[in-house]
Amino acid sequence: MSAKRVKDELLDHDYDGIQELDNDLPPWWLYLFYFTIAWSVAYLIYFHVLGGDLQEAEYLAEMKAAEVMKKELLAEQARQGAAAALTTQLTDDESLARGKVVYTTHCLACHGAYGEGGVGPNMTDEYWIHGGTMTDVVNTILNGVPAKGMISWRPVLKPDEITEVASFILSLQGTNPPNGKAPEGEKVGG
Amino acid sequence: MAMETFSYDNKIVRNFAFATAIYGVVGMAVGLLVALQIFEPAANLGSQYTTFGRIRPLHTNAVIFAFVGNGIFMGVYYSLQRLCKARMFSDVLSKLHFWGWQLIIVSAVVTLPLGLTTSKEYAELEWPIDILITVVWVIFGINMIGTIMKRREKHMYVAIWFYLATFLTVAMLHVVNSLGLPVSLFKSYSVFAGVQDALVQWWYGHNAVAFFLTTPYLGLMYYFLPKAANRPVFSYRLSIIHFWALIFIYIWAGPHHLLYNALPDWAQSLGTVFSIMLIAPSWGGMLNGLLTLRGAWDRVRQDPILKFMVVAVTAYGMATFEGPLLSVKSINALTHFTDWTIAHVHVGGLGWNGFLTFGILYWLIPRIYQTQLYSVKLANAHFWIGTLGILGYAIPMYWAGLTQGLMWKQFTDEGFLQYPIFLETVLQIVPMYMFRAIGGGIYLIGAIVGVYNLVLTARQGTLLAEEQASAPALVADTEPDTAKNVYGHRWIESRPVQFLVATLIAVTIGGVIEFVPAFLIKSNVPTIESVQPYTALELSGRDIYIREGCNTCHSQQVRPFRSETERYGEYSKPGEFVYDHPFLWGSKRIGPDLARIGDKYPDAWHYNHMIDPRSMSPGSLMPPYPWLADQSIDLSIIGKKLSVMKTLGVPYSDEEVSSAADNTMAQAREISEGLAASGINVESDREIVALIAYLQRLGTDLKAQRVSDNKQYKPKPYVRRGY
Repeated sequence: MSAKRVKDELLDHDYDGIQELDNDLPPWWLYLFYFTIAWSVAYLIYFHVLGGDLQEAEYLAEMKAAEVMKKELLAEQARQGAAAALTTQLTDDESLARGKVVYTTHCLACHGAYGEGGVGPNMTDEYWIHGGTMTDVVNTILNGVPAKGMISWRPVLKPDEITEVASFILSLQGTNPPNGKAPEGEKVGG
Repeated sequence: MAMETFSYDNKIVRNFAFATAIYGVVGMAVGLLVALQIFEPAANLGSQYTTFGRIRPLHTNAVIFAFVGNGIFMGVYYSLQRLCKARMFSDVLSKLHFWGWQLIIVSAVVTLPLGLTTSKEYAELEWPIDILITVVWVIFGINMIGTIMKRREKHMYVAIWFYLATFLTVAMLHVVNSLGLPVSLFKSYSVFAGVQDALVQWWYGHNAVAFFLTTPYLGLMYYFLPKAANRPVFSYRLSIIHFWALIFIYIWAGPHHLLYNALPDWAQSLGTVFSIMLIAPSWGGMLNGLLTLRGAWDRVRQDPILKFMVVAVTAYGMATFEGPLLSVKSINALTHFTDWTIAHVHVGGLGWNGFLTFGILYWLIPRIYQTQLYSVKLANAHFWIGTLGILGYAIPMYWAGLTQGLMWKQFTDEGFLQYPIFLETVLQIVPMYMFRAIGGGIYLIGAIVGVYNLVLTARQGTLLAEEQASAPALVADTEPDTAKNVYGHRWIESRPVQFLVATLIAVTIGGVIEFVPAFLIKSNVPTIESVQPYTALELSGRDIYIREGCNTCHSQQVRPFRSETERYGEYSKPGEFVYDHPFLWGSKRIGPDLARIGDKYPDAWHYNHMIDPRSMSPGSLMPPYPWLADQSIDLSIIGKKLSVMKTLGVPYSDEEVSSAADNTMAQAREISEGLAASGINVESDREIVALIAYLQRLGTDLKAQRVSDNKQYKPKPYVRRGY
């Protein structure tokens, strides 16, 4: 601030020995204040008079952008002929081992360490509530069964993880672990 | 002119000073305990009375109202007498004020661990204590205004302006935000619901920071900083402008706590712009503090008191710059609900309030005890330990906030959330939580050193309980005022009543303009047909949720971001909360949002998770709640709860009110039978059953709406409205 504005002239006040100087407002402070006021007016005009994107519009734009991105990605995958074979059951040890990791992380809490069931149903027997084919199991994982408390894992698991964990689950068929939960649902196959 | 002799009451100052010191240490110690629980749930000592959700409010209440509150009164009682050249208006009122305030604190210490809470942040205390607070606050006001009325100094110094604004505004905030209808001696429901309740709460919450932690402390700064530095205040003009601008603008900024929440856009925008406009008025205070030290900087290097004050004022400047930045929507989108906010408030709390309090204590205790500070060395040590503590606290929390905020938003190239499991983002910042506890612990050690130093100072001196003083009597307008009349402000400085009226106008406008449309214009909260009141059992569960302070860690507010709708589901709508007395949107996500938790997991999952969170969610940092399976739902009060809700406008039928207890048990039995099928045997009258019912209801009304829109309405698992 300029020397002129800081004149350090004592005012004729004295409060319990405290005196005050008659200095002007620091100019940069004052301009900062004016600037924030001008910014605020401009902000309100932009959003509430000129129709700038408020939160709902902002959200829709974000979702649309994501949709476009997803479509491009799918098209790219199709071009490369790598359309995910989501429902192809895998049997190689490596895939099943990866599936087991996913199972232990996400499924174990409700379906038990060995698929014997607990909060969720037993998955080692031949009885299935929502079908026991690879396609059925993948669908159940993908979409969940909200009414029964099975959540949709679509936002959580990647497509190959879903294939792997579904394959792992089907590999548990007939293992008959201890403390198995009583059968639920329809008997499938056999 | 005849000199009058009188004496200053130093004993009341001493009492408040010691209460400040003691509650400072206690409040910070409770803070350390909650900080430990965040990464080690077992630190809840295995008791419901010391579990996070109940004692986190104890920490905030203790440091705000016990530590800073007593600090305000200490500073006001010391400075006001001297600035008015008069003894306090009434010794009896001074004593009532002191003991009344301590009684409030003791009631908080008893009731909060018992889970008696309204759930409203920084206003958790239940209605009988709210009334006590009002009474004691009015006693303080009468005592202060009475002293000003019988002053011997014609004009009021700037410190007094801030004191008056504090008194008036806090009274208004407290009364409006605490409006509730009692259900019993220790339970009440807010008269406001949902969006309106949120708006009122954060008008209060934000301005509790403004008018309890800021304006009184600015007043104290204006007295104690020039005193300690022995320098004149830099600019009288600046005090005038920044005082009026500050109190007028502050009151509008509350909605910045609810950005991207289910609040009308216009209210959010007001919150943003008034926060930005606050930068300069806030910095006016910092500038007047720092520039007052011109010519005294050499002494700052030696004098620990000035060091404390310089860091305090600097922390104030940092926090009041950061606050407006966090109110910009694009920044808030990243930082809200994260530990960034926790870092922000602790820069203000530990730096500004904490350090100014200790600076004042070090200045004032030797004076009223007619001695020197016991050890300047120890005070310097306290300064450096405290500064280290602030850094050790704030830096890890900024780091944690930024890390978690980014993780929540991160998508993979395939369009999936990179960290879909919320817990992953928590475990990532556990080391930061540990560093934070260490930083806080260091600050606490500094505070203990400080209290030790102050006690020994008091011991080596003797209290000058009655300090003799003399001043000429104030004779009305015998002499013309020779002082320069800047902006004509001298006029109002000699008229306390007009000053109070002007202040009242300045602090009321913002609130009125924000509340009136939010309450009266229906389009602000569009109705959602499918949103129905809670069943009796769900309401009981909701009250258990409030008692356990679930809202301290879990929000119920999905913001309109792709990263949130992917994670939690449909974003929250204003119309969903019309029966929520009080609202439970939360302000921090230590755990995931619960707005859409209903029907997501089976009842058995919730049961197991509540008894032992780690059984369902390995690695979880949530404390277990086994007592919920032992304690019974209070059926005697449930009818009264519904009837109070009915009075507040929730459309319960008379039949629903009169058969509330039966309906509660009928729905509870259905849940416990369902649990039994999953091999869990629990009596149907247990609290956990009610809590499960409430959790399973959350967010489901909106889903019902969507299903019915698609013309394939399916009844929900429980026929809830039947009860």
